[in-house]
Formats: sequence, structure tokens, C-alpha cells
Amino acid sequence: MEEKTFEPKITAFVCNWCTYTGADLAGTSRLKYKPNIKMIRVPCTGRIDPVFIIKAFEKGADGVLISGCHPGDCHYNTGNYHARRRWVLFTELLNYIGIDSSRLFFSWVSASEGKKFVDVVTEVTETVRKKGPFIQYHKINKEFVLDE
Amino acid sequence: MNELRQLAKELLGNGTVKVIIGYSEGTTPERAKPFIARTEEDAGKLIFNKYCVNNLAVYLTRKEFKRKGTIGIVAKGCDVKAIVQLIQENQVIKDDVYIIGMNCGGVVSGFGVDDTAVKCNNCKVKTPHLYHTLLGAPVETPAKDDGHLKLIQKLDAMTAEEKWSFWEAEFEKCVKCYACRQACPLCYCEKCIADKSMPRWIESSAHTRGNFAWNIIRAFHLSGRCVGCGECERACPAEIPLSLINRKMGMVAKKEFDYSAGMALDAPTLVGNYDTADREDFIK
Amino acid sequence: MAEELLKGGNAVICEDEKGRGWKRIDSPSEVRINHNEVPSNISYKEFVFSKTEPIFYFKNRKENYELAEAADGNGKIVFLGAKPCDARSVEIMSKVFNWDYKDKFFNEKAERTIVIGVACSYKDEFCFCTSVNINPASPEGSDIFLVPLDEKEYAVRIITEKGKEFISPYLKYLTEGNAARSEEALGKIKWPGKKFEPGKVREWIGNNFEHKLFDEIGSTCLGCGQCAFACPVCHCFDIVDEECSYECGRRMKNWDACQFGLFTLHSSGHNPRDNQNKRYRQRIAHKFKYYADKFGEILCTGCGRCSRGCPVQIDIAQVAAEINSTANRV
Repeated sequence: MEEKTFEPKITAFVCNWCTYTGADLAGTSRLKYKPNIKMIRVPCTGRIDPVFIIKAFEKGADGVLISGCHPGDCHYNTGNYHARRRWVLFTELLNYIGIDSSRLFFSWVSASEGKKFVDVVTEVTETVRKKGPFIQYHKINKEFVLDE
Repeated sequence: MNELRQLAKELLGNGTVKVIIGYSEGTTPERAKPFIARTEEDAGKLIFNKYCVNNLAVYLTRKEFKRKGTIGIVAKGCDVKAIVQLIQENQVIKDDVYIIGMNCGGVVSGFGVDDTAVKCNNCKVKTPHLYHTLLGAPVETPAKDDGHLKLIQKLDAMTAEEKWSFWEAEFEKCVKCYACRQACPLCYCEKCIADKSMPRWIESSAHTRGNFAWNIIRAFHLSGRCVGCGECERACPAEIPLSLINRKMGMVAKKEFDYSAGMALDAPTLVGNYDTADREDFIK
Repeated sequence: MAEELLKGGNAVICEDEKGRGWKRIDSPSEVRINHNEVPSNISYKEFVFSKTEPIFYFKNRKENYELAEAADGNGKIVFLGAKPCDARSVEIMSKVFNWDYKDKFFNEKAERTIVIGVACSYKDEFCFCTSVNINPASPEGSDIFLVPLDEKEYAVRIITEKGKEFISPYLKYLTEGNAARSEEALGKIKWPGKKFEPGKVREWIGNNFEHKLFDEIGSTCLGCGQCAFACPVCHCFDIVDEECSYECGRRMKNWDACQFGLFTLHSSGHNPRDNQNKRYRQRIAHKFKYYADKFGEILCTGCGRCSRGCPVQIDIAQVAAEINSTANRV
């Protein structure tokens, strides 16, 4: 029964110049995407500190999506290249610690790819839905909740 | 030891260096402690032996030494790695430090014990790779089993759940004293992210959630940059095997980006640099 | 011995086998009484003064905030195998938690505490209990005091009323013993030598607040706080709010230490103890002067944990001895 009612919570960190604009395009083109995603706009993927991802999990996210400009298209020239390198290290670290890094999604979505954005969001939502709630982190969050 | 004292006396006497960061005898002869020699007289107290476990590079970025003239430092090969990394990251100016390199045949794993530290087993810098003066004779030691590597392979082979419960049990013990950070020569931030409270990124409480956040972020900030001196693990009162994480991340950096911390002065830093051909198979 | 019966909801706290710290045991087989080995890295204070504990919970109910107090536990907290240097810890800390505001969290746990002390026959170069007026054969601080007679046998002495009440259901496990034998065992214990005179340290700090000795020590101190966290009597804490999400959260009480730069940082940006020298001086002064001035008690039990564990080998007894000799010179 729980599976039926489970609606994944997904936090997305998106770059201002490409993915956010791409999401905007999806909206103005009247494309529909899953409401499970909560978007947080940052200037550039290079701005995304891995601590954001940890914080998202702490606050109850079941999945995190990170999305920005295609390589070479960065508004700040190299922000996404730097970010990409960090992600490699970070996902390896999460895997090593035993945190399921397949709940972490990365994509390049440009300002003109409204359709791709919709596809990515759908795919992420469905993948996380299949995986179920992020029990490991929910468990260590639980002690914070007053009732329930 | 005499050549060290002689050299220190000379350097302090002729003003080549302002102070020398070295070791002196601790509470017992089997325990050496960091010592800052300021005068020629102090130079006579300097020692070097297998009990000199501290990585003194941690002092180079302290306010009272940073950019205050040339600082002499007694350094083993592994400490030199940290100094090289600091120079690479522009935290220490190359000409501001006078390295007294020590040939080293391995140090003990902590105070009051007489074994050899695991990090020394396959040491490649028994003779430091950067120095102004080199002291002591090169030491040959037989190659030993790499204890960490085996444990890392064992951890790698575990399932995600097993890994999680292994680390959960380890992190649970953390008391959030941040001794790991303070002892690390490469944790030099003026204000650590763990100390930021607006917003508070890392909870200061020593519960599982806060401990995970701290240990993950600490490991991430050092990933690939760690030179493997093992000071964090030694300083940890809860004895969390931090070396296992640091070493693993070093292996990832080597494999993915062919980067080894603290080996080349002129190499670009790991995350301060990028390659257009970096791996991106995980990005849609 | 009466281990089996301690299962009635009581927490039995023993030193763990690796000597890392103390833990709540689940089965009698885990009982470990350490009377002749090096003390654990971390003392048992976390069971009376938690490293992290909720003060209250809150929840946003739109019109007002709902508050709920943190739940208290019950049952005795039994510290089994506390060396004399550990046994006094709760007693010493209770002074600061009661002089003005009565700290509910500490007191509630302290009241439930039963300290089963053990005469200590361990001694190393870091032990200095005798210098702070504690000795390895002293039952001070313990409710029940064990004297090791041989490998398996302990003489049990009931020290306080609390201890008497606690042990009465278990008396059947004990046999009448020979008092002379335990006296003899106590007599055999070698006391660590006296390393310094705490009274002199106290006096000296008052008059030499800006002495350069603190600069020398402070320059190698890393400010890691290991000493304070391992200490059986360091009791500083910090209060922070933590949220679970937008609408709920809890207020936490966490350990803190005077060796941290953040400890005295004001919100204005000013930091009265802005370098490690001042912070180290604070540590020494608080232990030997301020606490003694205020409560007539030295905030140190001489267990030597801080010195044993210090990553840069700052030995508090050595520092105090140095202060003594400096004081004598002038």
C-alpha cells in the first residue's frame, strides 16, 4: 500500500543560464512535467557544492537532480567542466560510504531543450519511484520529528 | 641528530630562517613532540627519530608563521608531500619555507607505541623529493603488505547496505571535536564549512546525521588532495579509520585524473583544473 | 557477582574492549573492569552529560508553535569499573550544573548514577591523580568500591547510602570477606608521584596572566579540542537549533570546547580569545584557578587522558609543573 502512495521528493539544482531557462521553455511550450521536482536555481553548476546534495537528503529528498549547460556552453566558460570533475569524485565517495549514488542524477539541458528537460524529469521521477523512499537517510532523519 | 642541531643553529644564527619547526623530546623519550626553535639555544633541543610522527606542515599555514619571513621546517618525505601540496595550492610561498629534509625509515603509528605506521609500509618518499638540505643516510626497508589497500578492497566488495552499516558504526563514534580537521595540514580554511552557521550546512550535533554530513564533506574536501600523512586518524579520539576514505579517494583521483597529491610542485591542482575529456558517462 | 540482575531496565556502562571509550553493555559477557590498564580514550561523562541531546522539540502549527520536552529515561545508570580518577567526575561536574541554574538534563541523569569504582593499579607517565588530591586507592566519588584481590576476585565495599540501597537485592551474590585482605591489596598499590602543586598554579596564573609561557605552549597547540572531549570533567556545551524541514525541529545541546576558535567568537566578529595561546591559557586557568576559586574544587582528576591523546604531546601535568618551577624561580 505504501508503494501506491509513495510520491518521490526530488530536489533539482539547475543552472540559471541553461537548464532553468530550458525548464522555462518547457513551461511556455505548455509541456507537462512531474510535480515531484522542486527546483533550486543556482548561477552555474560550478556553484553546486556537494554539501547541497547532502542537505537535500537530510531534508528528506529521495533523489537529487543536477543539471546545467552542455560542456563548452557554460556562461562562465568553464564552470561546468570544474563541476563535472567534482561529481566524479563525489559519486565515487558516496558509493564508497554506502550511499546509493544512483539516486543522484546529472544531466546537461540547454535553454532550447525544453523537451529534454521534461524527459529527464520524467525519467528521474520514475526511477526514484521504483527505488522507493530513501530509507537509509529517512531513518537517520526520523529522530528529528516530533510525532509520527 | 648532531648535524640537525648544527644546521639549525647555523640557520637561526645567520638569519636564514626566523624559526625552525621541528621536534623535541616529549614526556618520555619514546614520544617526540612538535617544538618551535626560535633561538640558537633552542636548536640544541631538536631531535629526529622514528618517534617523530607529527606532520609539521600543519603549522605552516598558521597566522603566526604565514608570510612572516622564511620558516625552517624539519620534514620527512610524507611531510614534504604536504608542503608541496600547500605550495601547489598557493597557501605557502615556496621561498618562504626552508625544508630540512630527513631521510626516514618509517615512523611509529602513534604516541606510546612501537610499531610502524601503515602509511610507511610502501613509502615511496623515504628520501624526500624536495628539500634545501638533506640529512641522514637513506634507509632501506623491506617492502611490506599494504594493510590499507586490503581493507579498501574488502570494503569495495561489499554491498551498499554493508558499506553503510560499516561506516554508520564508525561515524557513530564521532564526537565532533574536529581534531581530524585541526591536525590536517591541508585543512587550512580560515573558516571551515562546519563552522558556518548562517546557514548551518553541517550540523554540529554528534548524531548520526550530523556525523555523516561532516565525515562525507571532510572526505570530499580532501579527496585526491590528501597526501596520506595519517594525522587525522591519529588525532581522532574515537579512532575512526579516516585513512581508508582518504586513501580510497586518492586512488580514485589517480585512476580518473592521473593525479597524485603532493608530488609535483608545478602540477595544476586537482579540482582547480579540468580536462575537456574528463569522464561524463554518468551525465545524461 | 551480580551482573545478571542488572538487566531490569538499568544501563550498565563499561569500558569497551578496545579502550576507546565506554559503552552500554547488552550482556554480562561484555563486562570489563579495567583496573590495571590504560584508561579509555574518552571518559564516561557522555552518559550523564550527553555529547548531543535534545532540549525540546518544536513544530509550527500555523497559529502558534508547539513545544514538547525531550523524553527522560529511567532506570539506574551504573558505571562499572570507574577508576578513582573517573569516579569523581560526576561529583565535580555537578557543582557547575547546580550553582545557579539547576541543569535538569545533567541532574536527572546524575541522580540515577551509581558509580562502582575500582582501586586502580595502573600507572604511567601521564597519570597525576595524586597531584590533584585524588589517589588510586581512594573510594571518593564511588557508591560502591571494588578492590581487586586477584584475577577473578574483588572485595566489595559499600561506601554511600545510595550504594547500599542499590546493592541490597544482590547481596546474595557476595560472600563475607576478610577486610584485612582488601586492606593489604590497597596497601600494595603504587601511587603516581606528585608532579605539581595545584595551589601554586592557581596563584601563579592570577599574577602572570600574560606570561610568555602560554605563547610557547599555544604555538604548538592545534586547537583540536581532543583534550576537552576526552576529559571526564570538561563540561562546556553549545546550544543550536536543528530543523527537520520547514515546519519542525529541535533544540540541541552539544559538547563544545574552549580550544575552538569559534567558542568565544562574538556575532560582531570580535573574538576575545583570538589565538591559541589565549585558548590554552583558558584551559589551564579554568581547571586550576577559576573552578577552584568558585567551587573550591580542581577541575581535573589527573587521569591524563588529555595528555595521552594530544596529537602534539602537550602534557598538562608537565605544563603545570613548569608553571610551578617558574613560580619558584621568581
